[in-house]
Amino acid sequence: MPRENYRVRLDELREGVVAMGETVCARLDDAIEAAVTGDDELAQSVIETDHEVNETYLALEDECTELLALQQPVAGDLRLVTASFKIITDLERVADLATNVAAYGGPEGGVHDAVDVRDLGDGAREMVADAVAAYAARDPDACREIAASDDAFDERCREASEAVVRELLEADRARDAARDGPATTGGEALEASLDEVSQALLAVRDLERVADHAVNVAARTLYMIENDDELIY
Amino acid sequence: MSNSTTDDSLITTEVQTDSNDGRAAPAAGTAVAARDLDVFYGDEQAIDDVTMEIPEKRVTALIGPSGCGKSTFLRCINRMNDMIEICRVEGDVEFGGKNVYDDDVDPVALRRKIGMVFQKPNPFPKSIRDNVAYGLKIQDFDGDVDARVEESLKGAALWDEVKDQLDSSGLELSGGQQQRLCIARAIAPDPEVILMDEPTSALDPVAASKIEDLIDDLAEEYTVIIVTHNMQQAARISDRTAVFLTGGELVEYDDTAKIFEDPEEQRVEDYITGKFG
Repeated sequence: MPRENYRVRLDELREGVVAMGETVCARLDDAIEAAVTGDDELAQSVIETDHEVNETYLALEDECTELLALQQPVAGDLRLVTASFKIITDLERVADLATNVAAYGGPEGGVHDAVDVRDLGDGAREMVADAVAAYAARDPDACREIAASDDAFDERCREASEAVVRELLEADRARDAARDGPATTGGEALEASLDEVSQALLAVRDLERVADHAVNVAARTLYMIENDDELIY
Repeated sequence: MSNSTTDDSLITTEVQTDSNDGRAAPAAGTAVAARDLDVFYGDEQAIDDVTMEIPEKRVTALIGPSGCGKSTFLRCINRMNDMIEICRVEGDVEFGGKNVYDDDVDPVALRRKIGMVFQKPNPFPKSIRDNVAYGLKIQDFDGDVDARVEESLKGAALWDEVKDQLDSSGLELSGGQQQRLCIARAIAPDPEVILMDEPTSALDPVAASKIEDLIDDLAEEYTVIIVTHNMQQAARISDRTAVFLTGGELVEYDDTAKIFEDPEEQRVEDYITGKFG
């Protein structure tokens, strides 16, 4: 086949994006584990190795730029390169969000139990993994299913946030009750509670964003496969 | 310049010189149409049942691997293939509402309406002025020759570079300038269509880019049909692209953006992405 080297580079780009996606999913797994258990060592590992994902991102971005500049891909090849260019940005953001999620666990033992971080995190992580698998397998049906599942995931996030707010209200009531006791005890309890609750809200928000990035990956993958931009917005 | 295509304009050798040429009207119609076109060189079929309509005042690119028939198709449009003894054409090539292969069509008159620029610049060993005026003189043009020469050189984006040396030989110009001189020569008789057969393949990138810019300008007044092996060039400069594949088959013909972003035919995708050819 002509342009053998070019075709090899396209294959390697595709494999590189899939490998980056798998790495990001693994980091997300660790981040969720750290957030649930409060395993500070694991959280630090996610944070400190994020630069590896960034370096992979930059290397793949360079490869896309070079393919565009030197090989002038067209048609399906062009869509592969441009879609990959966008997808690696989403994957890099997911890795950034994983560092946030990992940090929410803190040294005291996990995100506030008003939020089931394991359940939400696994849901978001599964969407990312499915999107990467759809890219690898060139599966348009899977892309549409991932996009369609986003509303249900958003609803789960909304319910989780409401649960957190309810916790906040209960903390407020606890503060009222504490007024009868020593003043410092009530203030410290409130501060600790607010901190936990805000961390939980941020965790929910970040996992919801992870799912949004998964939908972006699916949307660009559908464009790559079918030149169909229905999911891109 | 004139631009009144009628059946008579292809039959008579007179030059239409009316100034109300209608070129200011927005491009919408069909300049050239092939209907069930077959071309044979002896027993070998070079074009296989091609039907396509080429829009006026647009750039249409013909691409495909070597031997696919794209240059043969181009040369059918102004009957340049008449000069090849073993060439046989069946079907119609319509221009100005008439089949150019009708018996009463004068090929010389036809070629004034459908000019041609070739792969290698081929100026005559004459002055720059005479190169451009050549086509006018052989058709007994009775207008202002110098004015037409200037207009044509300006149309070919060459005037500013040669206006002070019109009596110098055309062969003294650079390759890129020579090709623009040939374009000036092609547009001097006031054609409606300009055929270009790989017009930049012998030029360096800078000279080629000037020709590409010029083609874009020419399409404001003329219908340009270009054969190119350079797919990026086709993508850059054309509005419509026709993809011929081996055997003279027109496999896909569509807006250029569609061809290069999402072709319908897998064979076209394979060709333009370099999987074969």
